Amino acid sequence: MAQTRSPSPAMRRAADPSEAVLGAGTRVRGRVTGEGDLTVLGQLEGEVHLRGELFIGEGGQVVSDIDADALRVAGSLEGDVNVAGDVTILAGARVRGDVRGASVSLEEGADLTGRLDCEFSLPRELAGSGANDDEDGPTVRR
Amino acid sequence: MASTVIGAGITIEGEISADEELVVQGTIRGKLDAREGVTVEAGATVEADITSGPLTVAGTVTGNISSSDRVDLQAGARVIGNVKATRITIADGAQFKGNVDMDV
Repeated sequence: MAQTRSPSPAMRRAADPSEAVLGAGTRVRGRVTGEGDLTVLGQLEGEVHLRGELFIGEGGQVVSDIDADALRVAGSLEGDVNVAGDVTILAGARVRGDVRGASVSLEEGADLTGRLDCEFSLPRELAGSGANDDEDGPTVRR
Repeated sequence: MASTVIGAGITIEGEISADEELVVQGTIRGKLDAREGVTVEAGATVEADITSGPLTVAGTVTGNISSSDRVDLQAGARVIGNVKATRITIADGAQFKGNVDMDV
């Protein structure tokens, strides 16, 4: 009798430990931590510490500081970003906050309000001009 | 269309509200409000009061459950808390401590 209900689609799918999706109809308020990639299509407010990639999909709204291995944004993000790896801000995305990553790429059409902080080497003719008084590496302001 | 899946490596401490199917493979602490079905898979831990549509539990739930539909406690499930539901099944091998309230 216990098995009369057909298992939900997600139940049939092989359990992939790295899969996590907050769907468009889901709102989370609090702290999200863990390992594995996380996709946010709904609303998330709080704190994120993730050993994996965070993807904020189109329509996703995140108000949170982000600590993750990698970040891709197509939706909206409000908060400071501290990512060990690559940050990709896709066309149509809206980001408000300071962004720090090993590499940061901004697609045309992306909207960023905040500071970009990433290490890169300046061309020789620009390096060592003395005009740069930043404390740790070049910082681009917009 | 993928609904919401809280993967095995993920822990959420706080409030979750969902208007869609929710599958828990990881850990939730706090409060869980879902209008649609909720599945707590084997290995998952939920320490939260749950409000939901149909609820299937194969993992561990500590908290009170209020379902507008049915609750299925499958073999291997461990539930500590009161269950309010229109229908309930407790499979052989499920552990349950609490009261059952079925509106009659």
